Amino acid sequence: MIRKTIVIVNKLGMHARPATLIVKAASKYRSDFRIIKEDMEINGKSIMGVMTLAAEYGSELELVADGVDEEFLIKEIAELFVSKFGEE
Amino acid sequence: MKKISVEEFYRTKKKDFSLSVITNPKTLEKDITSQYLNRPGLAFAGYFERFAYKRIQILGETEISYLQSLKEEDQYNSIKEVLVYDIPCIIVTKGLSLPQQMEFLANEMTIPLLSSRLTTDKLYHSLRKYLGEVFSPSKTIHGSLLDVFGVGILLTGKSGIGKSECALDLVERGRCLVTDDVVKIFAQEDVLFGTSTNEYGHFMEVRGVGLIDVEKMFGIQAVRKQKRIDVQIELMPWKDTMDYERIGLGDNFVDILGVKIPIIYLPVSPGKNVAVVIEVVAMNHILKLYGYDAAKVYTQKLQKDLQKKAKLRHASIEGGE
Repeated sequence: MIRKTIVIVNKLGMHARPATLIVKAASKYRSDFRIIKEDMEINGKSIMGVMTLAAEYGSELELVADGVDEEFLIKEIAELFVSKFGEE
Repeated sequence: MKKISVEEFYRTKKKDFSLSVITNPKTLEKDITSQYLNRPGLAFAGYFERFAYKRIQILGETEISYLQSLKEEDQYNSIKEVLVYDIPCIIVTKGLSLPQQMEFLANEMTIPLLSSRLTTDKLYHSLRKYLGEVFSPSKTIHGSLLDVFGVGILLTGKSGIGKSECALDLVERGRCLVTDDVVKIFAQEDVLFGTSTNEYGHFMEVRGVGLIDVEKMFGIQAVRKQKRIDVQIELMPWKDTMDYERIGLGDNFVDILGVKIPIIYLPVSPGKNVAVVIEVVAMNHILKLYGYDAAKVYTQKLQKDLQKKAKLRHASIEGGE
């Protein structure tokens, strides 16, 4: 199991489009993927789950991947956050 | 180019348009090649610029009373000048009696002359509608067509994916079947219509069972003859690599006969109740027509929430400093 903490750096926060990108990226992998924000923990492969986090600009998330390809999953997802999902 | 013979037109529509044939039956061999109609009043008066002679010519009271106002010789010449054109068919309305030379000349020139008991206005509109259907672009595709809560759902997908079973499931839930397996689609003024090519009734094949008669089995309320097509749903086997729609913000469209309708790619897997999903698609389509788009509403709420929270966070950081 790997854990990684990231901060939302795109201005609009995790709205529908970034949420879709995360879910689609994560769904390619076999590992389980969870995202934790404060006291909320959701399945990172569920679009409703990811949007329910309502993670705004500046908020902190913990990514948790567990499975055979966990490293690759975390790497790709973290890159998405860093690239600001191609936004500002 | 599409065409229909006057003979076929007369045979299929004589009741609807209360038609009778004046000229001898041999004249009916001519073909109608245009969906438009023409009133030849100006041609009778001698003006032949832009005379649309390839269309069916409609003679109403105006034309007839004009011809009858002429002296016999002028009348003969006037009619003859028009009938030398290769006219597909002439229809006189209201059962009006024609100048005697008209029948003679039409027979001479082998131009079919029909009489309708309808008024000019009524005949004009019904005939335009009928010809519009005959000449509209059409094609047949492999799929099923259903009426789900008034929404015309065109169900497509590879053979064996379960279209028929899904259609059956919907019928069993009280929805209407238009046709299974082969859908004849035609476009009319940016609207698609679908109907069956089979004239025997609403039969369908269920794998492992054979043919069933849906109307006999589920009753007349379970079937329809024709339906406007609103949405296409393409059933496809579940593939991990396929990008399925997750939120529904961006609609996909498909072009059928030059008309664009939304298309939904629906993954199917064993044990999944596709019929329920199709009902949901239909209801969501209605909601969108009424101006309510759930995906838009939800994402807008989320966006607002995110902005508010970001502002609060910013304020609390500044306040803390």
